[in-house]
This record gives sequence, structure tokens and C-alpha cells, in this order.
Amino acid sequence: MTVVSRRAFLRTSGLGLGLGVLGGCAPAVRGDFLPRRGPRVVVVGGGWGGATAAKYVKLGDPGIEVILLEPNRRFVSCPMSNLVLSGVRTLESLTRGYGGLRAHGVRILHREASAIEPDRKRVRVDEGYLEYDRLVVAPGIEFQTEQVEGLAAAGDRVLHAWKAGPQTVALARELQAVRDGGVVVLSIPPPAFRCPPGPYERACQVAWYLKRQKPRAKLIVLDASPNIISKTGLFRAAWRAYPNLEYRPSNRVVRVDPDAREVTTDFGDRLRYDVVNLIPPQRAGTIAVRADLVGADGRWCEVNHVTYESVKHAGIHVVGDSTIGLPVPKSGTMANAMGKICAHQVVRLLAGRPPEPMAPVNVCYSWVNDVEAMAVINAYRIQNGKVVQVEQKLTPGQSAASGRNALAWARSIWDDVLA
Amino acid sequence: MTSSHRALAGPAACVLGLVAVLGLVAPAATPAGPRDPGYTKVFACSACHGRDGASRSDTVPVLAGMPAWYLKKAIEDYAAGRRPAAEMEPYAKMVLGLGVDDVAAYFAARPKAPTPIAPDPAAVERGGTAAQPCVACHGAEGKGDRSKGAPDLTGQPPGYLLNQMLLFKADTRSPGDPALTAQKALLKAIPDPQLADIAAWWASRR
Repeated sequence: MTVVSRRAFLRTSGLGLGLGVLGGCAPAVRGDFLPRRGPRVVVVGGGWGGATAAKYVKLGDPGIEVILLEPNRRFVSCPMSNLVLSGVRTLESLTRGYGGLRAHGVRILHREASAIEPDRKRVRVDEGYLEYDRLVVAPGIEFQTEQVEGLAAAGDRVLHAWKAGPQTVALARELQAVRDGGVVVLSIPPPAFRCPPGPYERACQVAWYLKRQKPRAKLIVLDASPNIISKTGLFRAAWRAYPNLEYRPSNRVVRVDPDAREVTTDFGDRLRYDVVNLIPPQRAGTIAVRADLVGADGRWCEVNHVTYESVKHAGIHVVGDSTIGLPVPKSGTMANAMGKICAHQVVRLLAGRPPEPMAPVNVCYSWVNDVEAMAVINAYRIQNGKVVQVEQKLTPGQSAASGRNALAWARSIWDDVLA
Repeated sequence: MTSSHRALAGPAACVLGLVAVLGLVAPAATPAGPRDPGYTKVFACSACHGRDGASRSDTVPVLAGMPAWYLKKAIEDYAAGRRPAAEMEPYAKMVLGLGVDDVAAYFAARPKAPTPIAPDPAAVERGGTAAQPCVACHGAEGKGDRSKGAPDLTGQPPGYLLNQMLLFKADTRSPGDPALTAQKALLKAIPDPQLADIAAWWASRR
């Protein structure tokens, strides 16, 4: 990640003189720190769904003030980040700034929203607050570390690398350092989780890397599910190239001991590792839980399928991986689609117009080695106010052509989210 | 396009110019916005093709400025499986359901945005000669000919153009279509590296 100096940040943040102080190590804000100038939409979270929503509200009605709260200075793409583990790509190549959103007139505060007050239509930031007319919450996922004994205490000694960033680079380094003949363990949680094909793509990338660089090393995949949950046949076919990959379905990891370098499954089986990548069970981002946007399961946010408005709190919309109930995957493409549709409905609702039913679309590419990929494509429609899937197609197999399409998709959709 | 511009040279062009200056004629490219009936319908397209159809990627075609008749034909061909593509078929069916005319009109009204991908100059140079067989249908400048069903090739990404030629060559695009038999025979006689040169040539044209 490029280090952005405070001076450079203030110069480019586009926050204006009065807001420049809110960046970086600015003092805590108090009170109504940004009085409203007109209709306002606040977006919490600048990932795939939130950044898209912020941009498309501005495109839909430039007269609406849009404020995006995102603590990170730069956007790092989770899609494609498994290629960092295999050394095919750098994390920097998946990293982009938020300048494009500013050019659309989105005001970006690199601050964390700490709470939401639905009754007062305010978002808390430090000791202050921002008022909104409509709020879009896109907090992504958080890990349920408490579900795996020893995981919370393990800290960075047990990596998830499931939010692209420093852990992705750290896991790549651990793979580079593993001894030839070593054992790498990849643990897949029970659904629902971000990017259903992601763990299986990761298995491909790790196995591809080990096969070339550590031919005597082995990858053991412990999957809580009884089978591969996405692109099943395609991954089975891809894995034929990886005799160093051992897949153990219905093996949920319930305990990790980083001192003994050992994981334990729900059957009580113990497995020693040289490198472990434990993808923890997941739920919606913390602010969604704190704001009582999650359902009875305490994990995910149920929304109206047309407007993405929370079924629990009026005026608050939720998009992206933190939603549940739609027959869609937690994917970047889907978050982007939800962001666009939600933005359109927000603009209409603020103008006093009824929402316009629109169905999302999805495409997910998975890389099976350094050049070949495969894809699943989903089409939907709205039926009786609900999203229903009308078609799912898979590429016939893995191919370099799909790999080229995957690169093209990434470049295009990053622009659709951010440029 | 070029020929129609030439036809407008002289007094007619002057009159049209005056009318435009006086604001009596709407600009050809209307701004993309929520009032356009295609605005929300292209949400399904924008993730890959760009919001205005100005693809910056090598294998994704530029839709900005594409004549409506050709985009409509492409969508119908993808939906019917005449252009087999897992990545397009479900979307094409969706676009048919949403209203392909609005989507086609939306992209046709956007300013043409040639691919930013600059092909290898040596390939472009070789391609200029190799591309001569294309002009019979696509026109001397590659701008296409609706009467022959031939699209504008200029400014499309080289990767996309090459892929399409390879699909025609393998008879997996519009398989068995008698209208394309001669063109496919022509492509089969051209080695793949030369097809890449041809793609580079048309990608470089404006």
C-alpha cells in the first residue's frame, strides 16, 4: 500500500477548507459537525456496494449531497486478491484511490461511523454526528472469531486474508517461507460467507504455487460444507491438476492452537500445520449489528428486494455482503449491482416518487492457475416484489479466454465502482 | 459516417451549422442521465462495458456510439445462442425483457469512445495490408455497412476483434449461417497471428 502523506491527503481529499481537518489524525468531532445544505444521503462503507451507491446517487441527482464515511484511504479489491497469494499479482495492482468519486461530487470522510440513530436520522462519528435523509449502510462482513476456540487470542498468528489488505500480503509471505514438504491448511467456514467460490479459487492458487515452488508440500482443505458450494464440477475438474491438494469435506474447524500449530475439527481430529489460513465464520459488519439491522440470527441484514431498505428501520438501506434473503451470492458484482439499484431508488424516494422494480445481475470469475479462469453468471427478475433467479450459466470449463475476460471484467467494474 | 459528412459539405452544412449555433437542433449525444429511458436498463451492462459503454478493457467491446441496429442484433444473437457465450446469454435475455430498443438507443446516443488500448505499432502496420479482405463488407474505412449486416470495426478493442474472428473461424459464432459461409472460408485461410494483426489495424482506426 502506498503511504499517503497527510499533506498530500489534505491537498487531494476535496473536503474543502472546513472539512480538511477531519482527515487523518484530526481531533474528535463533536455535535452536528457538518450542517446540511440540502437533501443528504450518507453512505457508510466505501467498498464495492457503498462506493457504487455513493457515485450513482450523485449521477442520479447531482443536487443531493452525498457523504461517504470510509476509514480506509484506498480501496483494495477482494476479487483477484487470491492471485496475490500465488505471486501472480501484487496487492498494489488491486488498489485504487477514491479520487474518481470526489470528481462526481461525493464528499469523502475517512472516518469510522460508530453508531446509527435511526429515530433521529443521524450517524455518530466520534462524539459528533451527521444528519441524513436516507442512509446507505454497506459495512461488508465481520468475522465471528468466537466461533473457533483460540482464534480471537491468536491475533495475527492465524490469518484469514479474507479482507484484501495486509493479511493477504502476510499470507503470501508465509507461503513463500513454508518448507518444501510442509503442510498448508486452508479452513472454509459454513455458509453464508463472502464470495462462495473464493475459498476454492484460493485452494487452486495455493496448490498452483506449491506445485511449482514447493513440489513436496501439501495443501489440505478442511471444508465445513459437505461439498464444494460453488462451481462444483468446474473446481473438481480444475483440481485434477493438483495432486498436492487434499480436499476433506464436512470438516469444520472448531479450535486452533497457534503454539502447537494445530487445528481441531468438529470430529475431534487434530491436524498439524506449517501454515494455516483459517477463514472464520462471518456476519454483517459491526455497525449493522450495533444498529439493530441484523435479523434474529444476529448475523445478516434482511432488506426489501426492490429498494434495499432495511425491513427493521425505515430510511436505512443496506447493500452488499451484509444482506441476506435474496437468492444471490455475496459477490463484488452483486454488491455493485445492489449499489446502483439502491442509489436509483434512493433518488426516486427523495423526490417523492415510487421505487422502480429492477433486478440485479451477477458474474463471478474464479482463477484456477495463473492464466485460466472460469465463470458463473446469474440473471434475476423481480417477481411479486422479490428477487428470483431466472438463469444460471457456467462457462463450459476453464480457459485462458475466460482469464482474459476476468481481467477485462476487473478493470471495467473497478471503474464502475470508483471512476 | 465519412461519406455522409462529405455529402453535407457546402451550403447544406452551412445552414445546419447555423441552425446548431442558434440552438435549434439538439446535440447528437444527449447527456446520460436518469431521464433517458435506457439509463437504468444499462445498469446490467455497465459493470463490464462501462456506464456509457466506453469499455477500457481488451476483450469487452465498446458500445458507446454503436449503431442501434447492430447492438440489437448482437443482443438477439446472444440470447438465441447464435453467439454462444456464457457471459452474455443471461444478460442478453434480460436486456430483451427490459427493452432492447431503449438499451440500443442509449448506447447509440453516447459519443463513440475508441478503445484506449494501443496495439503494437508493428502489428498495426502489418494489419493494414492483411485487413484488405475485410473492406468488401465492412467498407474501405471499416465503418460497417448495415445493408450487409457488417458492424463498424474501428476503435474496438483488439482482443475483442481477435476473439470474434477466431469464433467465426471455428464456426462457433453463427454456426451454419449461410450468409457468413464465404467470410468464414476467408478467415479459415488466414493464420491466427495474421488475424491478430488485422485486429490491431481496426482497433487503431478512428
